[in-house]
Amino acid sequence: MMQFLHTLDGLLEHIKSVERETIELTQQAQLQVVRFIEKQGLLLDDETLEVMQYQDIIAQQLGATIEAIESAQKHLQYFTRAFSEDDSLAAENLEKMHGKLTSALDRAREKHSAFGGKIQHQDDDGIEFF
Amino acid sequence: MPLVIFVDDSETALASTRMVTDTMPITVKQYLNAPDALREIQAGMTPDLIITDMNMPVMNGFEFLQGVRAHAATARTPVLMLTTETRDELKQQGKALGLTGWIVKPFNPAQLKQAIARVLRLA
Repeated sequence: MMQFLHTLDGLLEHIKSVERETIELTQQAQLQVVRFIEKQGLLLDDETLEVMQYQDIIAQQLGATIEAIESAQKHLQYFTRAFSEDDSLAAENLEKMHGKLTSALDRAREKHSAFGGKIQHQDDDGIEFF
Repeated sequence: MPLVIFVDDSETALASTRMVTDTMPITVKQYLNAPDALREIQAGMTPDLIITDMNMPVMNGFEFLQGVRAHAATARTPVLMLTTETRDELKQQGKALGLTGWIVKPFNPAQLKQAIARVLRLA
């Protein structure tokens, strides 16, 4: 079981790394486009200006999944450290770890919804004054 | 011209707001983190409007807002939250902390301009 958990940890680490690269690359690409637009003095229409903001949302969404993965990894690592010597004890505690991972998943889903902005909540007017 | 400051940890988000406000009769200053903006405010900068992101490392939008409100010169300065967050409980929390309004990303450029014009009472 421990070997399986180590492999799972490695897989999660890989996913985080790819997500970080994606954030970085999309940011670089977006900023290059912005530099070009500003250098040329181009004026964009509202529709284009609105979709230009998607990179920020992509970065926040991926950032939230990285946080969720880190939370899951923390539980996995705690589990593997605590029960590395005793496979039967580890099996008995699987349920507890399952609960922790389920909580991490719930938090991640909440953040996915919270960080989606108007893309996920199109009924939202977008602006509210208090 | 009125001074509007934008605080957001995303360079691309700041670029978007910059492109939208380019043609407005305002002076814009942008900050990639709230502590830098707050330091300048405490050092004497008096913006006419502050537009800030919510989820930022080091100091989030609410913490920044509290810092702004705690400073006498900006205790009543309008502050708009510009964020992907849509949760009502956060909006209510912001309102209780003295927030002026809430704008959800991705913002509609025309709406953002209207909101700035409305707060600054631009013709």
